[in-house]
Amino acid sequence: MIKNRNNTIASILVILFGIVLFYIGTDGFQAFTAETARVNQLIDDKPKFPDVTLEDSNGRKYSISEFKDKYVFITFLYTSCATVCPQLEMNMSKVNDLLPSKHIGEDIVFLSISFDPTRDDPETLNKYKDAFNSDGETWRMARIPDQSELDSLLKKFGVIVIPDGNGNFSHNSAFYLVDKKGRLIDVMDYQEIDEAAKKVTNILANETEE
Amino acid sequence: MNQKTFGLGLFIFLIIPPVANLMESVMIIHMHMQMPILVITGFLMAPFFQSKFSRFFEKWNHNGIPGILLFIIIVGYWMLPRTMDEALELWMVELFKFISLPFLAGVPLRDSWKKLEQAGKNTVIIIFSIAFIVMGWLYINATMQLCNNYLLIEQITLGWGFLTMGIAFVIFLGYRFFFNPSAYE
Repeated sequence: MIKNRNNTIASILVILFGIVLFYIGTDGFQAFTAETARVNQLIDDKPKFPDVTLEDSNGRKYSISEFKDKYVFITFLYTSCATVCPQLEMNMSKVNDLLPSKHIGEDIVFLSISFDPTRDDPETLNKYKDAFNSDGETWRMARIPDQSELDSLLKKFGVIVIPDGNGNFSHNSAFYLVDKKGRLIDVMDYQEIDEAAKKVTNILANETEE
Repeated sequence: MNQKTFGLGLFIFLIIPPVANLMESVMIIHMHMQMPILVITGFLMAPFFQSKFSRFFEKWNHNGIPGILLFIIIVGYWMLPRTMDEALELWMVELFKFISLPFLAGVPLRDSWKKLEQAGKNTVIIIFSIAFIVMGWLYINATMQLCNNYLLIEQITLGWGFLTMGIAFVIFLGYRFFFNPSAYE
């Protein structure tokens, strides 16, 4: 009987250990994939958009300070991508349509950043942008020509890009929202268009009231 | 060479950084070869601990249930997509993998398995059949990349690996249920 009791005690201890292990391993049952953990971490950290040089579809070069005092809605892509990127950009354009038009270009700018600077030169980006009704002004598409600058941005914003050896990349996708001071304040699910549009509209509405 | 030394040797071989890196570079090898072999090394090394701490095992794992629970928890933990990613990114998690799988899964598995009654053994296999089929379904159908360090195609490969193992478990259970080995002796 003593042995049975010991078994029960040991079983309970093991289960408690299991609960603690899973609790720590998933940040309190919140994040079962590294991607969720990454997003939660980013929203906590609010990293600053690094000082990198962007080159857009019109060949203009500038840094993020070009968009000073505006929110920037960002996605990362490469134009040769046939799978998730068109979907991502299509959804981005839907968010653009859902936002009150008075804010577009005034309080918020849309920016698609390519992580394939060798192939995505301004001409390619220019062609690509037309497919999504991007005007190149309030919604710009740009590359970061300097690879080390590009890497620093990807690292800061937690964008993981793995080349697959056939000229394609595997990468995580999301909507990134940077505030007027160049800080990343939110990372949103790119498949939840309405939710993202609502969130951004609220942020912009609060801003203009103040 | 007895199995304890063989287990230890295999364990050390798996830790060697180039070997570990190579195995971790492919998702399905990481989860369905490296991790199970780590459990096996613990399984092989178990007699060393069983003779050294025989009273401990006798006292606290008399019916085998605490040990098998520990085994299920540890293996379940390493089936989470996140833990695999973090093993590649954080050395602490990697270290925990190399310690937990042999010593907290392999050793208790060996100590518990013989002590479990047939119903207990079947329950464990049923739990893993369900878990593997669910994980397989999840990895095959997830359109999202669950692990940041692996390509989507590797994720689908892993899903089929899970599903195949799940099916093998089910066949084994069916065999156990429908055939009586002693009838053929």
